[in-house]
Amino acid sequence: MQEDDGIKKTKPLDVRAAIHRTAWIARDIREITLEFCEDPRALLGEPAKPAEFFSPVSPLPGQFVHIAIPGVFLRRPISIAGHDGRLLRLIVRRAGRGTDMLCSLPAGSELRALLPLGNPFPLDEIKSISDCGGDVWIVSGGIGLAPLLFLSGWAKESGIRLDSFAGFMDREKIFGVSELEACGVCGLSIGGFVTDLITESLKKRKPGLMIACGPAPMLAALQKICGEHRIAAYASFEERMGCGIGACLVCNCGFHENGGFRYRRACIDGPVFSLSEASF
Amino acid sequence: MERTDTSCALCGVKLKNPFIAASGTFGFGREFDRLYDISCWGGISVKGLTLKAREGNPPHRIAETASGILNSVGLQNPGIEAFINDELPWLAAKGTAIIANIAGGTEEEYVEIARRLSDASVDIVELNISCPNVKEGGVRFGTSPSSAARIVGAVRKACRQPLMAKLSPNVTDIASIAKAAEEAGADAISLINTLTGMAIDARTRAPVLANVTGGLSGPAVKPVALRMVYETSRAVSVPVVGMGGIMTGEDAAQFMIAGAAAVMVGTANIADPMSGPRIIAEFEKFLADYNIKSLGALVGSLKT
Repeated sequence: MQEDDGIKKTKPLDVRAAIHRTAWIARDIREITLEFCEDPRALLGEPAKPAEFFSPVSPLPGQFVHIAIPGVFLRRPISIAGHDGRLLRLIVRRAGRGTDMLCSLPAGSELRALLPLGNPFPLDEIKSISDCGGDVWIVSGGIGLAPLLFLSGWAKESGIRLDSFAGFMDREKIFGVSELEACGVCGLSIGGFVTDLITESLKKRKPGLMIACGPAPMLAALQKICGEHRIAAYASFEERMGCGIGACLVCNCGFHENGGFRYRRACIDGPVFSLSEASF
Repeated sequence: MERTDTSCALCGVKLKNPFIAASGTFGFGREFDRLYDISCWGGISVKGLTLKAREGNPPHRIAETASGILNSVGLQNPGIEAFINDELPWLAAKGTAIIANIAGGTEEEYVEIARRLSDASVDIVELNISCPNVKEGGVRFGTSPSSAARIVGAVRKACRQPLMAKLSPNVTDIASIAKAAEEAGADAISLINTLTGMAIDARTRAPVLANVTGGLSGPAVKPVALRMVYETSRAVSVPVVGMGGIMTGEDAAQFMIAGAAAVMVGTANIADPMSGPRIIAEFEKFLADYNIKSLGALVGSLKT
């Protein structure tokens, strides 16, 4: 049952965090690293350890954090772009009032963060395809690259090659490319459709799996391509979110299931879903 | 300092404290129980239940507003049988009062849901005649005294548990509807459900919510809710359960002073999933700080 699958995951923690570093890395794209202010194990009644020696959470690529921004009513779900054992890395696109306020906070600002939330990318599947000599491609559109950078960092550490296709609206919006190049061949699409690059590349090679994150039209186009070429694909989805933990049912995305239609919650059933089942 | 006993009875059902998680913001409790022990609540009002499973409305289903949210979920739920079989056994063992919030498209549906609940381990049935986000039923039953009385009366006959009518604020005279519900047999009144509203994206000229309109909740509606709880508690003799924008323990105290015997916390759960235990602790501290020895000394104590 879907409900149970969602519930068996690691317990998320609501922790106090402070902005360690914050800087623009492209137009309207800000990189923010957070450090944890306290040992949340203490909150659970377990012995506390000095925070600098560990991170209280072990997020996986594809998971997200629900951030309370001072002065903003609802928390904002932000995908995790990296985690080095101590610092949590976020890459945020300034897109509205909440992210605008998040991007304007100086280093040292305190926030509350609930994490890790949601399902990670299919790491075992990526590993086994790679082990069998298959290719895994990652496909991004704009800020959709953020969670995929966490994945590429994980892949590099795990000795897995990931080839990537990254789309950006224009040159001023480009970020993260050197990290992609560190774990495989990276194709860039600037001001066009990243899926055109995919179509071209598929004439030469066929991957065993694609992992994507980007705007809905990109995911819809990729779904069509993957369907035609019979390539398995997973994508990270987003929808306006409320509680972030699966209770309020506002962040639903539509999927085909057993010949019918079903909503699934982006926050707890996702945000990573099999792309072939998505209903755009 | 001595802790004030905050236990109370709501139409004969004992609550360990007067805090109830509001329907539609707490699911069936499972998700929150991963974050903290949900038995800290006096009661939990579950996601609105319909006879058959409902998929709900298309996204977007939420819009942030000044000091609140608009939602239009559209009563997505697995249906009454799935609730009784898959959710209730776990929830009923949690040690908190269970309130089944029920919604129907027709009078017969409401009656049938109440009948199916008669053998279930549910403490109170909350009659949702105030959902603004469904095409049939919902708020249409709750906007006139006569239609409210008809549905309350019909369900009262079929319902074994105490019956609480949840009222809509989208009316001209809340007290007359509350009175009609009381006369038809309601054992308690809960209010307010959400205020109908809408949000528009000026750049695309499209409504933010796919359903065009939605229900407004959160601190934005608290003054309206306080006024309605005040008016209702003076008009009826059954207990009133107040809700609407409670974010702190002191907010809850305000509702009780206005006349609420118990309160529900809803939108706060969505804005901050950890807020339930915090609000309950804040309320207990408020009682201690102001030397309030019993809930009875607070409820309806408004000085005018």
